[in-house]
Amino acid sequence: MLDKTRGFVELTIVPLKDNLRCIRLNAKQCRIYRVCLNDQYEANFQYYDPFLDICQTDPNTRSLEVFSQYHLAAAQKIDPDHNSGELQIQLPDEAAHLVGEGRGLRIGIEFSLESPQGGMHFVVPEGEGSLVEKSAHMFTYGHSARLWFPCVDSYAEPCTWKLEFTVDETLIAVSCGELVDVVFTPDHRRKTFHYVVNTPACAPNMALAIGPFETYIDPHMNEVTHYCLPNLMQILKNTVRYVHEAFGFYEETLNTRYPYPCYKQVFVDETEDEVTAYTTMSVLSTHLLHSIAIIDQTYLSRKAMAQAIAEQFFGCFITMQNWSDLWLAKGIPDYLCGLYAKKCFGNNQYRYWIHQELQEVVSYEEQYGGIVLDPWQPPASGARVEPKDTFYFPVRNVHTMSPRYIEVMRKKSHLVLRMLEQRIGQELLLQVFNKQLSLASSAANTKIGNGLWGQLLLSTNSFVKAIFTVTGKHMAVFVDQWVRTGGHAKFQLTSVFNRKRNTVELEIRQDCVHERGIRKYVGPLLVQLQELDGPFKHTLQIENTVVKADITCHSKSRRNKKKKIPLWTGEEVDMDLSAMDDSPVLWIRLDPEMSLLRSTVISQPDYQWQYQLRHERDVTAQSEAIDALHNYPEVANAMISTWVGPPAMLTIFRKMFGSFSAPHIIKQNNFDNLQHYYLQKTIPLAMAGLRNIHGICPPDVVRFLLDLFKYNDNSKNHFSDNYYKAALVDALAATITPVISVLHPGAPITVDSLSADTKLVLEEITRVLNLEKVLPCYKNTVTVSCLRAIRRLQQCGHLPSIPTVFRAYAQYGQYIDVRLAAFECLVDFVRVDGRPEDLSSLLTTVESDPDPCVRHGLARLLVSNPPFERAQRHRLDTEAVVHRLWGNMNSHLSNDARLRCDLVDLYYTLYGPKKPICVPLPEIQALMKQMHHKERDREREKEKERQKELDIKPAIKLEADEIKMETEIGPVQSLVMPPLVVDRRDDLLPVPISSIKEEDVKVEVMHSIITDLTEDKREFISDNAVALPGIPGTSGPIGFEPGMFRHDVSDDLGAPKAKKKKKDKKKHKHKHKHKHSKDKSKDKDHKDKSVLSRPPSSTDHLKIKEETRETLSSFSSSQSPSEDISNMPTNMSF
Amino acid sequence: MSETTEKFESASDARRRVLNIAVSTVLLETGFDATDKMSLETLTEILQCFLTEVGNSAKGYCELSGRVEPVLGDIVMALINMGISLQGLEQYAARPNRHIIQPPQQAPAPKTPAMLSAGSKAKPAPHIPFHLPPLPDPHAYIRTPTHKQPVTEYEAIREKAATQKRDIEKALTKFLAKTSETHNLFNTEDNQVFPLIACKPTFPAYLPCLLPTDQVFDFDELEYHFQVANRTEDIPTEKKGKFNIIYKPQLLPVVSVPNNFSTHRWTVYLFVTFPILYNILMTLQILKFACV
Repeated sequence: MLDKTRGFVELTIVPLKDNLRCIRLNAKQCRIYRVCLNDQYEANFQYYDPFLDICQTDPNTRSLEVFSQYHLAAAQKIDPDHNSGELQIQLPDEAAHLVGEGRGLRIGIEFSLESPQGGMHFVVPEGEGSLVEKSAHMFTYGHSARLWFPCVDSYAEPCTWKLEFTVDETLIAVSCGELVDVVFTPDHRRKTFHYVVNTPACAPNMALAIGPFETYIDPHMNEVTHYCLPNLMQILKNTVRYVHEAFGFYEETLNTRYPYPCYKQVFVDETEDEVTAYTTMSVLSTHLLHSIAIIDQTYLSRKAMAQAIAEQFFGCFITMQNWSDLWLAKGIPDYLCGLYAKKCFGNNQYRYWIHQELQEVVSYEEQYGGIVLDPWQPPASGARVEPKDTFYFPVRNVHTMSPRYIEVMRKKSHLVLRMLEQRIGQELLLQVFNKQLSLASSAANTKIGNGLWGQLLLSTNSFVKAIFTVTGKHMAVFVDQWVRTGGHAKFQLTSVFNRKRNTVELEIRQDCVHERGIRKYVGPLLVQLQELDGPFKHTLQIENTVVKADITCHSKSRRNKKKKIPLWTGEEVDMDLSAMDDSPVLWIRLDPEMSLLRSTVISQPDYQWQYQLRHERDVTAQSEAIDALHNYPEVANAMISTWVGPPAMLTIFRKMFGSFSAPHIIKQNNFDNLQHYYLQKTIPLAMAGLRNIHGICPPDVVRFLLDLFKYNDNSKNHFSDNYYKAALVDALAATITPVISVLHPGAPITVDSLSADTKLVLEEITRVLNLEKVLPCYKNTVTVSCLRAIRRLQQCGHLPSIPTVFRAYAQYGQYIDVRLAAFECLVDFVRVDGRPEDLSSLLTTVESDPDPCVRHGLARLLVSNPPFERAQRHRLDTEAVVHRLWGNMNSHLSNDARLRCDLVDLYYTLYGPKKPICVPLPEIQALMKQMHHKERDREREKEKERQKELDIKPAIKLEADEIKMETEIGPVQSLVMPPLVVDRRDDLLPVPISSIKEEDVKVEVMHSIITDLTEDKREFISDNAVALPGIPGTSGPIGFEPGMFRHDVSDDLGAPKAKKKKKDKKKHKHKHKHKHSKDKSKDKDHKDKSVLSRPPSSTDHLKIKEETRETLSSFSSSQSPSEDISNMPTNMSF
Repeated sequence: MSETTEKFESASDARRRVLNIAVSTVLLETGFDATDKMSLETLTEILQCFLTEVGNSAKGYCELSGRVEPVLGDIVMALINMGISLQGLEQYAARPNRHIIQPPQQAPAPKTPAMLSAGSKAKPAPHIPFHLPPLPDPHAYIRTPTHKQPVTEYEAIREKAATQKRDIEKALTKFLAKTSETHNLFNTEDNQVFPLIACKPTFPAYLPCLLPTDQVFDFDELEYHFQVANRTEDIPTEKKGKFNIIYKPQLLPVVSVPNNFSTHRWTVYLFVTFPILYNILMTLQILKFACV
């Protein structure tokens, strides 16, 4: 897809030194035409992006350990916090007088952006209709502003902004800051949106969304505006119903006004994340929208929106000083959002959420190593990160971290902040936040010259200091222990009751301290005993790996008669104590408030767990008890053999949901009672997990489930039953057990070989799946479940393992949830029965699917369910796969950090940190290398031809002139259409000229014409005009080898499309311009306009003006181009 | 003499058999040993005619004198009128060697099928004189609705609704599966048993999924009830347990929906989703009216 943007950036910097000679900025995938100082002097510049070939100096390594080092080096070489950047601007000598200490210097950069591969996404649905009708739109994603305009891409460089966006009059541009003005262009076909950000904000928090949005101003708060795609207004109104409450909550909790004058929520399609917060705006997924009849999504959407608002305070307004402070920028909004969720959804839900997060952190750390939240400063003890806790990716830069790591780190940050809350008290912690916010607010109102903008940044150290100022407590030890040291504690508890002394002898051990992700804990630990007389808390001091403690029981053993037992909630309950022995202890809990990062292994008899499950009111204790009871299979097994009659759950279910006169028929659905709703969804699923002595699901249960389908009647319900129906399909799938083959193995599976029960199940699944085609339910939840059920049938041998169905559902154009479910099935298929082609097609999707969410999602699916085990000499484990993954990691995904790190995860899962086994030994490799060289030579020849081609360029330009005339003749065509930054003439640019040339030289020429045409004003192509090496482009010298490899790869894929294009091109040639089928002319128009085509009078289409006066030294140091850059052969300078 | 005639006679007239016996007895008394069947019948016929004549005549006399039932005098008059002398009749009747004919066995009266009775007969009200005939069956005078009563049994209704719904769904999906592309779950050629309708990409894909059509909701109504449910003025403050606060973001009260709502909804589905079927239905409807 060719999508173009043209822009102009003006930065005002204030040098702190007089001898500033070199300015480094961040820019990726932009084509930079000109750099101008104070509108007077043109400056030379160099571009260098190490991500284009990360392991350049060691091209043959395939070891992740080596890659990791280069990866970090690459990230740091362009890290603005290290005074580095991809774009290096040399101040010409004649402009030297402009530089003076404290005097502003304006740097203007003209650039364009073509088919961005990351950071900016264009959604252009296929099909008939104008772009507005099709709801085509674009937005930026991620927090890398350098991907769409040159800037100082650091969180630590806040500045004020003026933003101007010119778009077609039917479209709306939503960006950060206040909308000051919307001005029509002289031809009245386009509008320019002027946004101003007066509160200092940093570049990574800038965002833009353009599309035919519908606008909804929040009825409760006029400053809040919501935008959604066409036709979704009704559900938008419902979804954002409570946004104002979140604002109110945060303002009240933090005792601070919302720091910005406005807030915008834009709901767009095909986002990577559900929600991303930027200064004064959030970009949210359109899939968060739901109507009033949907239950389950309500919780998720409301939490996501609350999260985004919390990030306005911390994360957008107050940002981090450095990557090491990421945990604060992530953890504080999570913590605030947690408080809101607690208020909104109740304490149990909140505790359960915390419990889940804790479990997730613990299991991640035990698998991959302890997460150090702030790895830049070692703890005071000087302890270093142990080798067992070293990750296979660098953790010192966010662009190199695994996305999963970031996710878990965020959760850990949240937990650590919660621990902090327990240490110093919620009120005081909130006061600390309040203090930070009020300092920042007053700083934001000053000019940059006052040097107070540093208050807008938060670092671990300043946070600890702020805590001390507010509370007078030193938190340094806490921070050392939980922030600067990784890992969690793991306690093993055993207890013995001593009857004589009426004590419980506890033993708490930390045996696993040498295992991955686990560290020794020293300090207090709370133990809670539930005795017959009530709950008692004991704080033990943990000093060693083995701690023993005798705790005297308060209650005498149960000689006492029937008496109600008090719980810690104050309730008194009757218990059946027959299962107990003579100990008065009912159950033991360790650290019940989750005030440590810990995992616990508690050994207590199964009846104690049962008491805990039945009578403990805390949801976390219940869920722990359930987990523990899994380890007592004899309980469940004993039941199987002795149980006769209908399963107990069946009786319960019928009692709760069966109709009065005919209990076997379920009542008409009524989900007004949400507790019952969730039970109604869960019980069938739980029942489907039952197995009888033969290891199959009892036929009673299957029949019961089929009846639920049959009698399901939602006609009088106020809520949609889509999640319930999906749960029923899930339940049906869960009843399926591996087929007992009566046929000889290997016989083809046909309809006749199905058992009667399976036939019924399959009939139900096909019926509901087919029905979804005519009557689709919300988010196609039923289809998603059906796909999983079909895969389950295949796994169990009831259906032949064929992937065709899943492939169809995985196509672009299906709903995203359905696609991901289909990919899940395909990944599983590849693992079990896949051929190398199947794996290859999955990898192609990872590389080139139009939807970034699918690319990322599929990569994660491959990581969680890898196609083959490490070093098992699996049939899919081929060298080609290694090289392909490596090529992507090393160079092709230079503009998509997240996907690159996804693939690093995948590489690690498949091959581990060392060189993959399937890659041949060096001797053989040497042989291979020769062949490789030949290829490279061929490549060079092609390149030469290309250069020649470029030499003829003047001729092309002449033609371009002619074409331009044409456009002027028929200006209507070129201007009617929205200048949305979009072009459907797929990958015109990524196809290297060399390859097309072989087919048809003419076509190639036309290509250039069209391309030039889009550039409209050719004076922009100054002598300095340069295609940055990362951009696949037709013009501009490309002397960069990795880039060429990339072309090689895309060559094969792109070839057929290129042919298709030829036809389009020929039409142009025949000058049927006015008779073009509408689409085509439209297509052309967008391209023509691609945001950049502007009326001759207006100067800039996308004009981003950075008004900043640098406080920090990053630009003032006059360091000459660093050595590491100069020794790069690929370095380009003009 | 054929058997059938005999059968007929014996079956048709038991009286005639008695007459037969009477004639035979008289013949025996008179001294005959045997008789020809034909003559016996003739004599019987004569006897029957005679008796009929006497009866008719006696009835005439009886009615002539204003009575309903004949008395002995009527018969005497009839006999006299026929010119038969009554002298010696008494002696003849009391003759010593007379035969006595056994009275014919009382054949059980063939049951006349009872009138169709419905319900139990009501007892006459006290003001109705006892001599009046009893009331007829209730169906003869109570009002019964002319249409069929609907089935009111819950179970049956649910069963029927579920079956109907399922049948419609089955028919619809089967039709679509036959008329559009399908996926096959098996490796076989034919795809008759479990065909899956092929999925088609739609652009934008999110619209049908975020605005589902599987159910028709009246959002204004839901909105109204949502507002009602969320009002806080007149709800007594609930006792909130420390750990069991359940938040109900969309708590709605129960509302009654018109009875025919579900069927109505189904029609809507069909009409919205399946215009062909709708057309067929409409045509049928029109035809039906035309026929009527």
